[in-house]
Amino acid sequence: MASTQHVLLSPAELAYLHASLSLTPPIRPDGRSPTQFRPLVAETGILPGTNGSARICFADGTEAIVGVKAEVERTRTRHDFPSLDESAEDDDDLDDNQNEVIKGDNDWVEMTVEIPGYRDDDAGTVFLSAMLSEALLADGEFTKRLWINQRFHWKLYLDILLISPPLSYPLPLLSLTTHLALLAARLPRLKSEGDEDPLFDDDWAAAPYLYPRPSEKGSKATAPAPAAARPPVTLLVMAVGNNIIFDPSKEELAVADVALAVSVGESSSSTTSTTSSKPTAMDIDTEETKGHNLRLLSVRTIDPPSRLTPPGIPNASNSAYGANAGAKDAEKKKQQQEQARTAESEAVEGVWKAPRGGAKTLVMATMVQKVLEKGGVADEVLDALDGVDLN
Amino acid sequence: MPLDTSAYSLALLRVDGRRWNELRRIHAQIRTQAAADGSSYLEMGHTKVMCVVNGPSEPGPRRGATSGGGGGGGQSKNAEVAVNIVIAGFSSVDRKRRGRGDKHILELQSTISQALAASLHTHLFPHSTINISLHVLSQDGSLLAALINAATLACVDAGIPMTDYVAACTAGSTSTYAANDEGADPLLDMNHQEEQELPGLTVATLGDSDRVAVLVCESRVQVSRLEGMLAVGVDGCKQVREILDRVVREKGIKMIQEGTVERGVGLNDMELD
Repeated sequence: MASTQHVLLSPAELAYLHASLSLTPPIRPDGRSPTQFRPLVAETGILPGTNGSARICFADGTEAIVGVKAEVERTRTRHDFPSLDESAEDDDDLDDNQNEVIKGDNDWVEMTVEIPGYRDDDAGTVFLSAMLSEALLADGEFTKRLWINQRFHWKLYLDILLISPPLSYPLPLLSLTTHLALLAARLPRLKSEGDEDPLFDDDWAAAPYLYPRPSEKGSKATAPAPAAARPPVTLLVMAVGNNIIFDPSKEELAVADVALAVSVGESSSSTTSTTSSKPTAMDIDTEETKGHNLRLLSVRTIDPPSRLTPPGIPNASNSAYGANAGAKDAEKKKQQQEQARTAESEAVEGVWKAPRGGAKTLVMATMVQKVLEKGGVADEVLDALDGVDLN
Repeated sequence: MPLDTSAYSLALLRVDGRRWNELRRIHAQIRTQAAADGSSYLEMGHTKVMCVVNGPSEPGPRRGATSGGGGGGGQSKNAEVAVNIVIAGFSSVDRKRRGRGDKHILELQSTISQALAASLHTHLFPHSTINISLHVLSQDGSLLAALINAATLACVDAGIPMTDYVAACTAGSTSTYAANDEGADPLLDMNHQEEQELPGLTVATLGDSDRVAVLVCESRVQVSRLEGMLAVGVDGCKQVREILDRVVREKGIKMIQEGTVERGVGLNDMELD
């Protein structure tokens, strides 16, 4: 859907944009540096009726609201045969070192994306929510936070609303808003013990955060050390030639050779990932850093809208510019067709041609590396999101 | 949760401490969203609604379920008013998800579409569509009224010519349909708890006049009480109109002071303080 949105630019404009973005350093239409993000407005805790909520406005005017709502649900008693599943058995062994087996299930999180003007079963909407929930569930750590006791668990509903019309591909906006809403989310404090029916503290001020703050002293000491200190962030990265450009605007995305959605999570410093059982998630651990210990959760290629743009016609084969003016007989016409075919396959300087084929492996690797590197973009984004007042 | 009507007759105070003729707090903002042609945010008590208007524009490919209640299709002489309501899953106390094909939502959409199509000068924009998308963030009664008010504000912000504000409000009665209580008082602006228990109606009027643009009553009510309820509702609409008008004027003054728009010729009588 939105990724293949029509941008009303002529082939000449596209060619110009592509040329200026493939310079070193690239010149972006709004004068940003390749890794610079546009300013955004963010607030949290806007809806008292939810467990956590956030609203973000991007500079291009797109706006999203995310509300997190939790309900207590009875855990289905499962008759697991550990021998059936090797990885499940491994997990059990790991957890048996603690006295309780804390297990999560991906069904405990339900995510819906609402985009005005699009049906909720539209392929693009479903793909967006799948990408966002995939990043959240990739390491299997998140659902463990929803565990109450052997019999009960929290069911978390994440409702993502895009308020504005989808002007640009809304993935980064929705991801950042979800991130903030989850950071602001709190669940009531459990008063009951063991496997009895859960009873919660009425005092909302005493409710612990779903993602405990490091600055909080009381709750952090008692809670079991969480593996991921904060929810994942999905960033949109695009490449033009060998240039890697972050936070592309709609016009920039229209000339992208490759577009990637890279989901990055943060793990606490001590745990190195051993949960590489998920086939969809690639786990690459970066070195210990002072700032954030980043971890790649998933990478998805986005079909860039540039593939659907109309190609330009070089002057050599454009009859309006006198090409083949003398073509009269059939033989010359045939020649003309052949010329047109070569013109379609060969790149002509300054003439727009929609990118074809896959991305270069080297470019893809650089894109992912640029996200993950120390003091890189993901680090910067997470630092910036730290500045948002959560209450 | 039954409303204790006996308590009302003792102190003449409602569950949230209001008198019979008091509105809840109404807070509104316009131009909340930079990318849209018009936008608004409205709170009536705990009911919170956002509205985004796009258009009048060329009708795009028809997608999803839009109700074309007001004015015909894209080929007609009048602009089509397409209303799209999204009720967020987190808006009510218990999470309840409603699909787009929900009959209740479809009815709300066509009601709002028809009400606005009558007030907007749609004949000025032939072969075009005015897209109004409404987002319900929090629900606590008087949903239709809040949606109509928010849509009106957003249309004002979008600069679509209209005859006057369409201001809406709810009214109810202090005793249930079954209770044959002669001295039942009408109530203004019902919250969710009262809506569950008592008969009520939503009324919208056109500007300062007593002309009713929308009248929706979904509960059983005795005919003798209807007149009183309607009178109170129409009176409430006038109060709501004042509030909406103030919001628009304040924003207008602010925009002139900030230099966003130039001071027009007709604005000399407006107080800029």
